[in-house]
Amino acid sequence: MMEKLKLAVFELTDCGGCALNILFIYERLFDLLEFYEISEFHMATSLSGENHYDVALITGTVSSQRDLALLKEARNHSDYLIALGTCATHGSVQASVEGSIRKKLEEVYGDKGNPMRALDSKPVVEYVAVDFALPGCPYDKEEIYQVLIDIAKGVEPVRKDYPVCVECKLNEYECVLVKKNLPCLGPITYGGCNAACIRSGLGCIGCRGPLPGEVNPASEYEILKDLGYDEDYIIRKFKTFARWEP
Amino acid sequence: MIIELREFTRVEGNGKAEIVVEDGEVKNVRLKIVEGPRFFELLTLGRHYYDVPDLEARICAICYLSHSVASVMAIERAFGVDVPEEIQLLRELGLIGELLESHALHLYLLVAPDIFGYPDAIRMATKHGELVREGLAIKAFGNRLREIIGGREIHGINVKPGGFGRYPTVEELELFERESGALLKLARRAVRLFASLEPYGEKAEHFVATDGYLWGDKLVSNEEGTFHYTERIEERSLVYSFAKQSHYNGEPFLVGALARLLLKADSLTPMAKRLFEEHREKLATGYVSYNNLAQAIELVYSLERANEIAKTLLDKGLEGENIPIAVREGEGIGYVEAPRGVLIHHYRIDGSGNVFYSNIITPTALNHAMMELSLLREAKRGYGELDECSLIQRLEETVRAFDPCISCSVHIVKL
Ligand code: SF4
Ligand code: SF4
Repeated sequence: MMEKLKLAVFELTDCGGCALNILFIYERLFDLLEFYEISEFHMATSLSGENHYDVALITGTVSSQRDLALLKEARNHSDYLIALGTCATHGSVQASVEGSIRKKLEEVYGDKGNPMRALDSKPVVEYVAVDFALPGCPYDKEEIYQVLIDIAKGVEPVRKDYPVCVECKLNEYECVLVKKNLPCLGPITYGGCNAACIRSGLGCIGCRGPLPGEVNPASEYEILKDLGYDEDYIIRKFKTFARWEP
Repeated sequence: MIIELREFTRVEGNGKAEIVVEDGEVKNVRLKIVEGPRFFELLTLGRHYYDVPDLEARICAICYLSHSVASVMAIERAFGVDVPEEIQLLRELGLIGELLESHALHLYLLVAPDIFGYPDAIRMATKHGELVREGLAIKAFGNRLREIIGGREIHGINVKPGGFGRYPTVEELELFERESGALLKLARRAVRLFASLEPYGEKAEHFVATDGYLWGDKLVSNEEGTFHYTERIEERSLVYSFAKQSHYNGEPFLVGALARLLLKADSLTPMAKRLFEEHREKLATGYVSYNNLAQAIELVYSLERANEIAKTLLDKGLEGENIPIAVREGEGIGYVEAPRGVLIHHYRIDGSGNVFYSNIITPTALNHAMMELSLLREAKRGYGELDECSLIQRLEETVRAFDPCISCSVHIVKL
């Protein structure tokens, strides 16, 4: 029998969603376990202590010295490292809060300095090189399933590089930007969620992070301005899941 | 001497503990929340109210819907909006979904391995596959409710001030009715299993919950009538933890499944009530470890109640109308029972609909002091009696009984 790949899940500072989402694969988790052996997964197992992983998934942002040390450990001991979820790929909500860490700590905890050694929240990709980045707050669990199967079969997984709008069209959802004048970020956001929020008749809030390349944030900005949204509102909306200068 | 417990496993988020030993005696325990801070209150400042619930959802994945609903309720109260029964029942269904998903995860995947002596549920599945599958079935149903009511399994944006983006269809309601009935048998089996756990941790003396079963206008405790959190709950910052600690009238207290059962048994559904009566004596001792048993009884409650609600809505038919919101300056508090206990969202909103004050207190922060007390008691009992490995195992189990959600605990604003 083929030797199973050693899989690790590391969680830095985050909401737990990206780690939890792996358990939401349910019964098919057992399919993955045909190829993988879970060597480290804090939330799910008390076993740990391996010193080499074939594939490591990292969720969350680097928000403390502890996170940074853990990230470096993980990078040093893994062959294939995946930044999983928008926290890890773009910083997500906690990294979008403006201001210096000192100021923020003071505002929230009172004047106590920084005894726990907090850092300004940043995505994993700003500290280490990653082999694959899968955004989403949280990512779509079908996608990680496919990525892990691909890797196990020796195929390099493909990154989706089209906007959410494409998935709206495929699903034939009515465009909420045009039809309901809702502030939808679908045109400038990484697709891959199957247009989950537009399915509910609501605008995309950009949880998969800004799509670089051919998309045009400036024109999205103009559209929203024409719809009557004020500048401050639009900028904040753009910057919810990533520090981003539109 | 200080014994360091490495980071806890099989809990959500990152935390650890230190046991302080002097002259061969356990003197103190510090529960350290090492998860980095997440600054949600700052994130919401200056934001338009409509976008706030979607941001607050990101506080925690296991109970995102509790955060959305608490947030939406605080906003509606600030604007003086009352939503009709239909919207309330649908929100309740979502919260029930969350309770099922969260309790099933905790009981079957995180605690059960302790009972059978495995490091995790995956390895436990080799011998007890049936049990793991039963847990996954309940969890999947809970998530199905969250997906349909909340918009996604995790961080959906369907719950909005005044109503929903999309309302469930008749087929979906029928599915809720059918499945909830079918799963009841499994939940009853879980009650038997978790009733066999021995007591450990501290005996809680003060319990706090919302005045309704899954949400309320105010809080209640075992000592007095209803009150607002600002009257009796006080938060303190700690130098060794990113989470603050709360006290009720200056004392540690317990929120969560056990507190709910003990304070609000009258509102239970028939079968859940019978099971509660059967185990009342045990539960009333207040040992925090009985929180596990209380959660199992709540699985039964949730399934029965989901069934009732689906039936009611099917009989009445859904209107699917949102309530319009008129923006005005105001202040509102949303009190919700997240799976782990009382969750508080408190906002002040200005005349253009932007939030300018926000305070959020999560169950894990409320339980923090009680958790430390429980660890201290177990450490005192076990130190010198148990070898270090068993002692640490016991301490982990003690923390686990609270089902702490560490991610949510780390961003409490100063008062
Ligand atoms: S990306 Fe979103 S879902 Fe994932 S851990 Fe971060 S906040 Fe949670
Ligand atoms: S539609 Fe937008 S906000 Fe919704 S899941 Fe997809 S990327 Fe995220």
